[in-house]
Amino acid sequence: MSEKDKTHNVEGTGEPISRRKILAWLTSMGLLGSGIVTIFSNFVFIKPRATYGQPSRFNIGTPEEYPPGTRMAFGDRKVAIIREADKMAAISLTCTHLGCTVGVAETGFACPCHGSRFDQDGNVTGGPAPKALPWYEVSLAPNGELEIDKSKEITPGKWFKV
Amino acid sequence: MSDAKQKKNFLSAIKEMPAAVWSSVFRNRLPHTDLGRSRTSFTNFFLHIQPVKVHKHTLKPWFTMGLGLISLFLFLILIVTGVLLMFYYVPSTTQAYDRMLDLRGTVAFGTMLRNMHRWSAHGMVAVVFLHMCRVFFTGSYKKPREFNWVVGVLLFLLTLFASFTGYLLPWDQLAFWAITVGTAIAGYAPVFGEQIRFLLLGDTTVGQEALLRFYVLHVAVLPVLMTLLIAVHFWRIRKDGGLSRPEDADIVTETSANLTNLQPNPAVAASSINTIEIKRYGIQGLVRGHFTKVGNVPDNTVFSYPNLLLAELFVFILTIFGVLLVSYFFNAPLEEPVNILHPPNPSKAPWYFLGLQEMVSYSAFWGGVGIPAIEVLILLFVPYLDRNKKGVGRWFAKERLLANTLFMTFVVVNIILIIIGTFFRGQNWEFVSPF
Repeated sequence: MSEKDKTHNVEGTGEPISRRKILAWLTSMGLLGSGIVTIFSNFVFIKPRATYGQPSRFNIGTPEEYPPGTRMAFGDRKVAIIREADKMAAISLTCTHLGCTVGVAETGFACPCHGSRFDQDGNVTGGPAPKALPWYEVSLAPNGELEIDKSKEITPGKWFKV
Repeated sequence: MSDAKQKKNFLSAIKEMPAAVWSSVFRNRLPHTDLGRSRTSFTNFFLHIQPVKVHKHTLKPWFTMGLGLISLFLFLILIVTGVLLMFYYVPSTTQAYDRMLDLRGTVAFGTMLRNMHRWSAHGMVAVVFLHMCRVFFTGSYKKPREFNWVVGVLLFLLTLFASFTGYLLPWDQLAFWAITVGTAIAGYAPVFGEQIRFLLLGDTTVGQEALLRFYVLHVAVLPVLMTLLIAVHFWRIRKDGGLSRPEDADIVTETSANLTNLQPNPAVAASSINTIEIKRYGIQGLVRGHFTKVGNVPDNTVFSYPNLLLAELFVFILTIFGVLLVSYFFNAPLEEPVNILHPPNPSKAPWYFLGLQEMVSYSAFWGGVGIPAIEVLILLFVPYLDRNKKGVGRWFAKERLLANTLFMTFVVVNIILIIIGTFFRGQNWEFVSPF
């Protein structure tokens, strides 16, 4: 047995850890760290910073275009504009069950895919949907037009006063 | 050396060139002796994936039913037809559907290629699953094959994912809503669900980004990963001593020893005379050491060339015949182009996810994420959970009654859920009778 082989760190013996062992440990930790950073940066890369689809924020015209009692579906935007007297709201048309587009019905909203039903405020009244349709933030842009921001969900029932 | 003699040498070299080229490429003539058969297996790249000798039990058609091979051949058919389809396909929301129509109308063999690709993909999902059932019911995942089962489960998941990503590419109503529903199920995963969905789609809804991402996954990432894992899967079969076989398969009986028709080397025979009855090693074990050949000890193996190769050829012809037959009579579905405003009622995921969708209709989280995750985890760890060492290499071994019953329940429940989701769910996901 050579001199080198005898240098091992046995618990309690107080023998020093060999330099070779420390270097090996540092190298493996370095490689492991680099590996983790690589995987992580790949995730950062494939998560788009800008999406090329529809913008989440858009204008829908002035409040006057929506007389009280309006329940209007913007199908391609997947949002419904509701106006009752002087308050307005934007409710999502994406079914919370499996992502189909719900239709505006007499009693509220109905999903054609799997039969989920929602009341006029988007609360679930039937079918497999697990939660209510989200409400989006409505605000007045400086040019007097209404602006919907689909990236900002607000608590249902929080109306926008016109 | 005289000029004339040199000229003669040169001419004879030219004359011998075809033979020289042939023998340098193939190294062996078609073998007629045992030595030649083993040489052929050793020196040919494509044949060296096979063992030189294969156990007779492995060649029994009803033991494996060739399911693993069929999976491989379907994968190869998918690669070939897939690459051909790539020449005409464009992963763009404005062009993809038109290209589908082109495949149907103008591209030579377009319909047939798409049919073959579509039906092979569905077939592969089913056959890989059946292969998994075969391995379970014959207890073939036990030591030393535990990890190869894990690789197999990963391959099954990759097969599902490859099929799922391909489902979107035609960009018709069927594709769009199936992927909308399918990715919505992924969104139910806790904590990371929405993020996974966003990474997968590259956007909040299924659109151009999703189409491009699914395309890249489908034609590059997943096939490469699967090829790699298939290579590992096959390599491990060899290193684990071939396919599993019952304990008594290695006992050499008088007749089978005679069938090998060998003259045992007296020296080897003398040393092995006591071990013949309990011989446990295959030829792979011998290759590991210094020697590739220890003499003609009688055993229950036959040469892979031609026995195994013919069996494989038979399975290949059967597979491609089946695919061609189905593709000739049934066209791959193509519905109307995507219309975001009009989801079909009911919107259904691909058939192999309809069991999930059926469960999702009872509980979104448990049906879509919880139970499937538990199922996959149990599948992955099956070889480490089942400590019973008995019943390897036999269908429905009595010793494995409990394990087999549990697995059979898992299989039957999932198949019933898929059947309900496929045939018994109509408008609004309400129960309908298909009859």
